[in-house]
Amino acid sequence: MAKALDVIKKKRAEAVGKIISKGYLSTKRVYVGMATCEIAAGSEEVMEVFRDAVKQKGLTDVYLSQKGCAGRCNLEPTVEVIEQGKNPVRYGQVDKQKAAEIIERHIKNGEVIEEWVID
Amino acid sequence: MAYEYAITICDGTGCIQKGVRNLRQALDDELAKHQLTDKVKINLSGCLGMCDKGPVIVVNPGYTIYGNLVKDDITEIVTEHLIKGNPIARLAIQEDFMYNRFFRVFGDAKFFGKQMRIALRNCGIIDPDSIDDYLALRGYEALAKVLTDMTPADVVEEVKKSGLRGRGGAGFPTGLKWDFTAKQQANEKFVICNADEGDPGAFMDRSAIEGDPHTVLEGMIIGGYAIGAKKGMIYIRAEYPLAIKRLEKAIKQARANGLLGNNILETDFNFDIEIRLGAGAFVCGEETALIRSIEGRRGMPRPRPPYPSVSGLFGKPTLINNVETWANIPVVIMDGAEWFKTIGTEKSKGTKVFALAGKVVNTGLIEVPMGTTLRQIVYDIGGGIPNGKQFKAVQTGGPSGGCLPADYLDTPVDYESLAKAGSIMGSGGMIVIDEDSCMVDIAKFFLEFTQNESCGKCTPCREGTRRMFEILTRITEGKGKAGDIENLQRLGNMIIKSSLCGLGQSAPNPVLSTIKNFREEYEEHIHNKKCRAGVCANLISYTITDKCIGCGACKRVCPTNAITGSAKNKHTINQDKCVKCGMCFETCKFDAITKL
Repeated sequence: MAKALDVIKKKRAEAVGKIISKGYLSTKRVYVGMATCEIAAGSEEVMEVFRDAVKQKGLTDVYLSQKGCAGRCNLEPTVEVIEQGKNPVRYGQVDKQKAAEIIERHIKNGEVIEEWVID
Repeated sequence: MAYEYAITICDGTGCIQKGVRNLRQALDDELAKHQLTDKVKINLSGCLGMCDKGPVIVVNPGYTIYGNLVKDDITEIVTEHLIKGNPIARLAIQEDFMYNRFFRVFGDAKFFGKQMRIALRNCGIIDPDSIDDYLALRGYEALAKVLTDMTPADVVEEVKKSGLRGRGGAGFPTGLKWDFTAKQQANEKFVICNADEGDPGAFMDRSAIEGDPHTVLEGMIIGGYAIGAKKGMIYIRAEYPLAIKRLEKAIKQARANGLLGNNILETDFNFDIEIRLGAGAFVCGEETALIRSIEGRRGMPRPRPPYPSVSGLFGKPTLINNVETWANIPVVIMDGAEWFKTIGTEKSKGTKVFALAGKVVNTGLIEVPMGTTLRQIVYDIGGGIPNGKQFKAVQTGGPSGGCLPADYLDTPVDYESLAKAGSIMGSGGMIVIDEDSCMVDIAKFFLEFTQNESCGKCTPCREGTRRMFEILTRITEGKGKAGDIENLQRLGNMIIKSSLCGLGQSAPNPVLSTIKNFREEYEEHIHNKKCRAGVCANLISYTITDKCIGCGACKRVCPTNAITGSAKNKHTINQDKCVKCGMCFETCKFDAITKL
């Protein structure tokens, strides 16, 4: 009988494989906060904007995922952009318009929009 | 300011002793020398849990941890790593604690500096709907370790050694509870997760489950293995629909992956979990009431002993722990009791999650090492009081806790210190109160909640809280009498002594602690008919001063037409008609209305 630790190692390797096949190694990873509090603050709409951008506008090389609450209640909804080799950037109080602008300016053109960044 | 590097300096006690503050100076000097000050952001963190390798600094991006540093190393780090971009392998240390994951992503933000996330380590990092995300971050490895290398007795011993205490509020040593339940002989045992979070303003358990449901499941499965149970239940309020949805999904995924059900991870251990929904009664957070509710009976507490570890669900030995306690278990197993013990204070180990709310700049969900002071939480993490207002008190423990004034700001957060100061740790609600809040009104708010939620079984709690509420209402309406304070104290102490469960035993706390710390406010209400915060409507009145230019703005917003006056002449308020809504006060642009 295989040992439980070996079984879990195999499972982890499979899991990592699955995440990578979903595009995790893309140059940009975007996380939208989706806990009850974030949803109440409007994160579902924000998520929708990013989803559409990935699907329709052919935004390539972006890995989009939801995440739980990181604890910044007063700044929700939050969106996080992680690029390999750079410091992660977190935007607070994102709405539909801001999301669209983040896509245009940051994701497409690599410009960090300083005034919305959570420090 | 776009910075290129973020450096976190561990400012914990261990590293301070080893001279980290001199390094900080050296780093500042070195950065200035190379004109890098603008490009590097420096954060101070609380203890990073690597005291034996201190002083420790972390350089991001890349998450390089440098340890055992001396002053000359700083020069090398700046010239080699920061300027040339070559991390220095010789100085780097490899530490892979579970909580590091969180710090790796959020370590550069000030809000997270003094925090350490053990229970919430994956919250805000992973997709809670994806078991793959959890597995990728060493999820369920603790379970596998337990099933491979440890006997149930070993697991109990490890939890005992860690010093972990119940995070639901009472702080009972978790390991002892596990030990009692494990030692019971029975044909069936149960494991329960208490997710009946009910304190007003508290959302720790909801966020933990919504952000990382699998860690709770993993903790429970390990608990089941340790005490010899095959069945676990999560009791969660129906008003947490998203948390329930994520738990259901997590359970389904865990079953599909052989992590729940029969032959877990191909061993002969069987365990499964089901969800039971609570209807939102506060008293059902009390363990014996919760158990009755699961059994399908009316949720009312019963006397203990026997404790649930002896006779719990359906009369069987039952291990019941809070969400946050369960979420700590995988870390205790993976990083070990020896490491866990190094975090926190002498009697309170590890971290505590708080829902920081009220009059504070950064409201939010935080997790700090035990022993962090209230001042650090309110000012360093919370960012202080907004709008230049004065701090008045901090309320911990929700309706079971107390209010601590500014004198107590340096109280370290742990079970004993908070109790000594006259409050409690509680499940983790923390409300910051500023000068605009009336302490009598706050006590009344909490008491109204508990008297509504009293199950009615014990007369002192059912009737006593009602009477106390009536007295408080009278005081806030300006009808207080001499002797009211003494009556509140007498009633409060009697309810504490003669109630069966934690609800009644703690319900008077908000009143007693505000009387103790803010007695003068009660006296002002009763004797001078004055509310210094201007909250109690019957004790305030609005008047228009000579500053009035007769613009008429107040007149237009007054809902009861209590303001009269002709244009460009001073207006007056008819006190008989005024309902003290404050609209005129808010509207006046000339500071011509006073509130007394």
